[in-house]
Amino acid sequence: MSHLPAAAGVGFKPEHFTAIRSDGGKIGFFEVHAENYMGAGGLPHAQLSALRADHAISIHGVGLSIGGAEGLDANHLARLRSLCDRYEPESFSEHLAWSSHGADYLNALLPLPYTEETLATVVAHVDEVQNALARRILLENPSTYLLFAQSTIPEVEFLGEVARRTGCGLLLDVNNVQVSAVNHRTDPQRYIAAFPLHLVGEIHLGGHAEEALPSGPLLIDAHGTPVADPVWDLYSQVIRQAGPLPTLVEWDNDVPDWPTLAAEAARAEAILRQEADRLVAA
Amino acid sequence: MSPHSDILSVFRNALNGGGLPPDLVLGAADEAARRLAVYQNNVAHSLIEALAARFPVIRRLVGSDFFAALARCYIEADGPRSPVLAEWGESFAEFLSTFPPLASYPYMADVARIEFARGRAFHAADALPIDPAWFSAQDPWSARLDLHPSVHVLRLEHPAVSIWERNQPGGEQVTLPAGGEIALILRDRSFDVPVRAISPGDAALIEALREGDSLGSAAGRARSAEPDHDPRDILIHLMRQGALITPEQT
Amino acid sequence: MSAFRSDKEMNMTEKSNSLCLAASLACVLSVLAITPVQAQDMEKCYGVATAGKNDCAAGPGTTCAGTSKVDYQGNAWKYVPKGTCTSMELPAQGDGAPRQGSLEPLTRDVPA
Repeated sequence: MSHLPAAAGVGFKPEHFTAIRSDGGKIGFFEVHAENYMGAGGLPHAQLSALRADHAISIHGVGLSIGGAEGLDANHLARLRSLCDRYEPESFSEHLAWSSHGADYLNALLPLPYTEETLATVVAHVDEVQNALARRILLENPSTYLLFAQSTIPEVEFLGEVARRTGCGLLLDVNNVQVSAVNHRTDPQRYIAAFPLHLVGEIHLGGHAEEALPSGPLLIDAHGTPVADPVWDLYSQVIRQAGPLPTLVEWDNDVPDWPTLAAEAARAEAILRQEADRLVAA
Repeated sequence: MSPHSDILSVFRNALNGGGLPPDLVLGAADEAARRLAVYQNNVAHSLIEALAARFPVIRRLVGSDFFAALARCYIEADGPRSPVLAEWGESFAEFLSTFPPLASYPYMADVARIEFARGRAFHAADALPIDPAWFSAQDPWSARLDLHPSVHVLRLEHPAVSIWERNQPGGEQVTLPAGGEIALILRDRSFDVPVRAISPGDAALIEALREGDSLGSAAGRARSAEPDHDPRDILIHLMRQGALITPEQT
Repeated sequence: MSAFRSDKEMNMTEKSNSLCLAASLACVLSVLAITPVQAQDMEKCYGVATAGKNDCAAGPGTTCAGTSKVDYQGNAWKYVPKGTCTSMELPAQGDGAPRQGSLEPLTRDVPA
C-alpha cells in the first residue's frame, strides 16, 4: 500500500534535527507536511535533504482541499509534484476534508457531507492528484465534530468507495477514529471492523484533548499530548487484525523534547514487533 | 451551484459567525453551536498563530490579546489565499499603518516590513558564495558581483532595526536613535537571518551591485549617497555572511 | 557617478577622492581574496539555527491538528495594547518633544 517500512515513525519537527542526527536510527520513517517545504531554499530543504539521505520519508499534504466543492489548485498541485520529484518520498498522503473555499484558505481540516455527489467530486479530485503526481496516494479519515444531515453514506463506506474507484490507498488515523466515535456517540470498534484494512498504507496515532458537552464528552484532535490509552488499545487491535503497518506518531502542538517523542514511537514499535514475532511463531 | 458547493458556502458563512441553519447538521441546536465552535476556533486560532509566527515582534509590541484581535481584523481584510502560509502577510505592514487603534505607533509598519523580509530571506533560493580565490584574478573597478537571493535592503522611516533588536530574546534596552534606519537582512551561512542597520552608502553600494553595476560604479554611487564612504567594511561583512555570489548564478 | 567622469571633468577634490576609492577597492579585493571561509559544520549549523531567533524567520508551520486553546471570540469588545510598545520611549521627532506612543483602545467590531 505504501513503500514505507512497517515500523514506527514520527512527524519531523525542525527543533529535533540535531537529536535525530545522533539518535534517530531507531525511527522507521519521518513524515513532513508538504506545505512547509514549498519555499525555494534554505534550512527547511537543507534539513529535509539530510533526513532523506538516511531515512524513509512520508510527505503529508494538509492544504489540497480534496473534499472541497471547487477544482483543485493547479499551482499547488504543481508544487506538490516538484516536491515529490525532488525527495521521492516513500508515501504521499492527504485528507478527506476541505480547507479552501472561494479565494480563502482557512488552514483547518473541515468536514464535508458524504453523498453520491461529494463521492463523485472526491473521486475526481483523487484521480487528478494521482495523475498530477504520477503516483498512488493515501487518503486519511478525518476527525469530525459535526455530522451533516444530508449525509447518506457512512464514512467508512465512502472511503472504501473512493479507494475502489481511484485505486488510492487509505491512511487510517486511529486517533481520529476514537475522536469521531466518541463525539458522535458511536462505537470505534465497529468503525474499525468495517474499515477496509487491506487498503491501509499507513497508520496515524496522536493525542487528543477532552471537553464536555451536555450530552457527554467532546474530543478534540489537538496532537498536543501523548496518545491516549483507548487509542493504544484500538491500535493494538488493528495491528493484530491487519499485521504490522507503517505507523506515525503525530505531535504538532506543545511539541515535547526528542526523548519524549521517541518514547511514543518506541511504544508503537513494541506493538509492531510483538505482532511480527507472533506471526513468525504462528 | 451544486448542493455540495451550497453546503460548504453555508458552512463557511457559519464559521464567520453567520449561524448554522437548523437542518444542516444533526443534533440539538445549542449543542451543534458548541460543536461548530470547535471548527471556528481551529480556523481562527491557527491563522492567528500563523500570523504571530511571521510577526513575533509585532505581537510582543502590542501584547498577545491585542494581537489576536488585530489578527482577526487582518484575516478579514486580507487572509491567506494559498496553503503555503509562509507566503502570507505581505500586506500586513500596510494594514498596520492604516489601523486606527495603532495610529500613535507609526513605527509598527516598519517593524512588520523587517519581519516579513526575514521570512523571505529564510526561504529564499540557495546560491553558492564566491570562492575567495576568485577575487585575486579580478580588476577592482570592473569586477561584477551579485548578491545572494536572501539579501534585502529596507529603507525605513523609523528606527525599526533598533526596535526590532530591543524586542529579541535577551535584547538590550538601548536608546533608540532619532530618525529612520536602513535595514540589511540576509540569510547567513548558518541559516540564521540577522538584521543590522547599515549606512546610506552601504545601502547604495548593495543596491547598485544588485542592479548589475561593476564594483567601481557601485562604490562611486555609494560615495554619491555618502561622501567619504569606504566600501571595505560592508563588502567584507557580506563576504563573511556568504552573501556575495558570482553573477552567473542568478 | 564621479568615478566615471573623465579627468578633465573632475576637480581636484573629486580626483583625489577617486584615487582614494581605487586604492580602497584594490585593498578590499585583496582582503576578500583571503577572507577565511570556514567549511560549515553541517550538523552544527542546521541544529543551532533552529534553536533561537530562526524560529521567527521560518514563519508559520502548517498543522493537521485542531486546538483546544480557545481564542476569545467576542463581537464589540475593547482592548488596550499591553506589550512592550507601551513603555518604549521614542526619540524626539520634529516638534522636539520626546514621544511615547499613546495607546488607543481598540474598540470596534472584530470578526468572530
